[in-house]
Amino acid sequence: MNDSDLIPVRYLNEYAYCPRLGYLEWVESEFVDNYYTLDGRFKHKRVDAQSDKVTEEGEGDKAHRRSVYLSSKKLGLTGRIDLVEHEGERATPVEYKRGKVPDTPERAYEPELVQVCAQALLLRESGYSCDRGIIYFIDSKTRIEVDIDEALVSRTLSLLESFRELVNKGEIPAPLNNSVKCIGCSLAKICMPDEVRLLSEAVEKDEEDRYRRLVPARDDAVPVYIIGQGSYVRLDGDCITVTSPPPEQERETIRLIDVSQLNVYGNVQITTQALREFCERSIPVSYFSTGGWFYGITHGHTSKNVHLRIAQYDAFRDGERSLEFARKIIQGKIKNCRTIIRRNSTEDETTTLKALAACGKYAVRANSMEELLGIEGNAAHIYFAVLPRLIKPRGTDELEFNFEGRNRRPPLDPVNAMLSFLYAILVKEITVTAYAVGLDPYLGLMHRPRHGKPALALDLMEEMRPIIVDSVVLTMINNGEAAGKDFIKGMGSVHMSDGLRKRAIRAYERRMSTLIKHPKFGYTISYRRVLEVQARLFSRFLMGEISEYPAFCTR
Amino acid sequence: MRKYYLVCYDVSDAKRLRRTHKLMRGFGDPLQYSVFICFLSKVEKVVMLSKLNDEINSREDRVLVVDIGPDSKRTRAAIEYFGIQEKLRDEECFVL
Ligand code: SF4
Repeated sequence: MNDSDLIPVRYLNEYAYCPRLGYLEWVESEFVDNYYTLDGRFKHKRVDAQSDKVTEEGEGDKAHRRSVYLSSKKLGLTGRIDLVEHEGERATPVEYKRGKVPDTPERAYEPELVQVCAQALLLRESGYSCDRGIIYFIDSKTRIEVDIDEALVSRTLSLLESFRELVNKGEIPAPLNNSVKCIGCSLAKICMPDEVRLLSEAVEKDEEDRYRRLVPARDDAVPVYIIGQGSYVRLDGDCITVTSPPPEQERETIRLIDVSQLNVYGNVQITTQALREFCERSIPVSYFSTGGWFYGITHGHTSKNVHLRIAQYDAFRDGERSLEFARKIIQGKIKNCRTIIRRNSTEDETTTLKALAACGKYAVRANSMEELLGIEGNAAHIYFAVLPRLIKPRGTDELEFNFEGRNRRPPLDPVNAMLSFLYAILVKEITVTAYAVGLDPYLGLMHRPRHGKPALALDLMEEMRPIIVDSVVLTMINNGEAAGKDFIKGMGSVHMSDGLRKRAIRAYERRMSTLIKHPKFGYTISYRRVLEVQARLFSRFLMGEISEYPAFCTR
Repeated sequence: MRKYYLVCYDVSDAKRLRRTHKLMRGFGDPLQYSVFICFLSKVEKVVMLSKLNDEINSREDRVLVVDIGPDSKRTRAAIEYFGIQEKLRDEECFVL
């Protein structure tokens, strides 16, 4: 047995809590800090600093050793013990736990009992005699004694055995069924127990109300955009300061806990110290040209789940699966285009809606990627032909917003300028999400890899384009937030003024933090969270847990 | 979900005091010299406590944390009682 095959005791604890959790953490290297893990670590540290309190009083001649690492090839186990009390040949492992002593007959939960038992077995393997272990509950400052009896030993060994089998089999266990364990589980947002169960097996539809939202509806931290040319970003303790260029040199201070991502346009300086801090805190920094072109990103280490990326490459090579996925996103996009038309039209658009519905049907049956792309192009053509009728600018602005289909690089009219500006921001959003989830944003299944294009982000963006960007642009023009005077024309192209860019970013961000009822799962989340849920569902699709990628369609 | 916390500290050493103040600026707004109002999630609060714990000397200094409650009319009223400009961050983004 290799050292890397030894299972750490900590993961055995997780496996005993939930097999899927043990698998995700140990095999797929997924790890997320949440309140419980952070609080546990913090309390641990404090107890370590004052650990005389943990040891029994009046037992002066016992020796104590903190943080003891032990491994045993025979057991296939390795682990760290918080504290070992020993006296001659006898040793007792002490495990610290955050929280209070639970109100169960054993006065501890099984995962902890198993963990202490595994530690005891490691001590025995190292030649000590060990017939009891201690769990120290930090919040109730209480030591609970655990008998390492035969029943516990055989339970521990059989869990270890089944964990090893699971690891060798390499197949993720199904999520727990509506378990309270999921509520405190740090990986709930990755595991998506209720969603995966809904999509992977025959769960009755009327059970839908049981889909719990196990993550916050939206983040507390928000994005920062820096448009001001010549601005300077510095680290200042747990804050950043952004200084505008001379002569004003206005300084804004923003707390890092309030920052979810940083986006800079054109000529903005960021110190290395600040960049390092952003990487450490997993705050991605995205770079746009002054023209709004999204050209790069800095982020910390990507997710360690290499299995996911391997599955992504496999799907890429599998033409049939790629096509299956592409059909779904195109169908979703067409549906959402229809929704935008229905919501914003003042004229009778029945013919167009029918034509689009037909495209949707063809998309489902497309036999090749070429055919699908043809249908997609056709649908886009129909959709963008309707768009001018949905735009109702006021008074003299009518001419300005004369829109005749999509054009880009450079945009030739105000509507295209706004669409391009915000599509770039949406691509950035999905790129950031893809990295956070552990996907490779540059390897798409429908969009083929082309130099520097985040093809996967473009794939996942299809269904979101109309309901996020198009909707924001229509609203801004129709309520006068964007007017003719906000555009600068020159050399055959059209650009947005700084003021309009700022308003467009705000409108986009308002949209992203809007809470909506998820059409499939019934809980309320923000659009930004929807993007994450979609990326995670895509991952579950890649890993083969759900057979179809469910595109997001609003009703 | 975030909640409001009042954080007060007595730090006896001038250098530590400065460093504590700087650290606390990353978590909230100063009301008085060693009193901060912070709007934090549970996770952010643990991170703050853990950083404070590293900064102070537990034999000479002390920290008091009061949970004022989630953002609500009542909480806002309570905060106003402390005499600050309420600085509730409800913007969706920073655009500079
Ligand atoms: S969310 Fe539930 S099913 Fe998923 S890993 Fe956690 S405890 Fe297990």
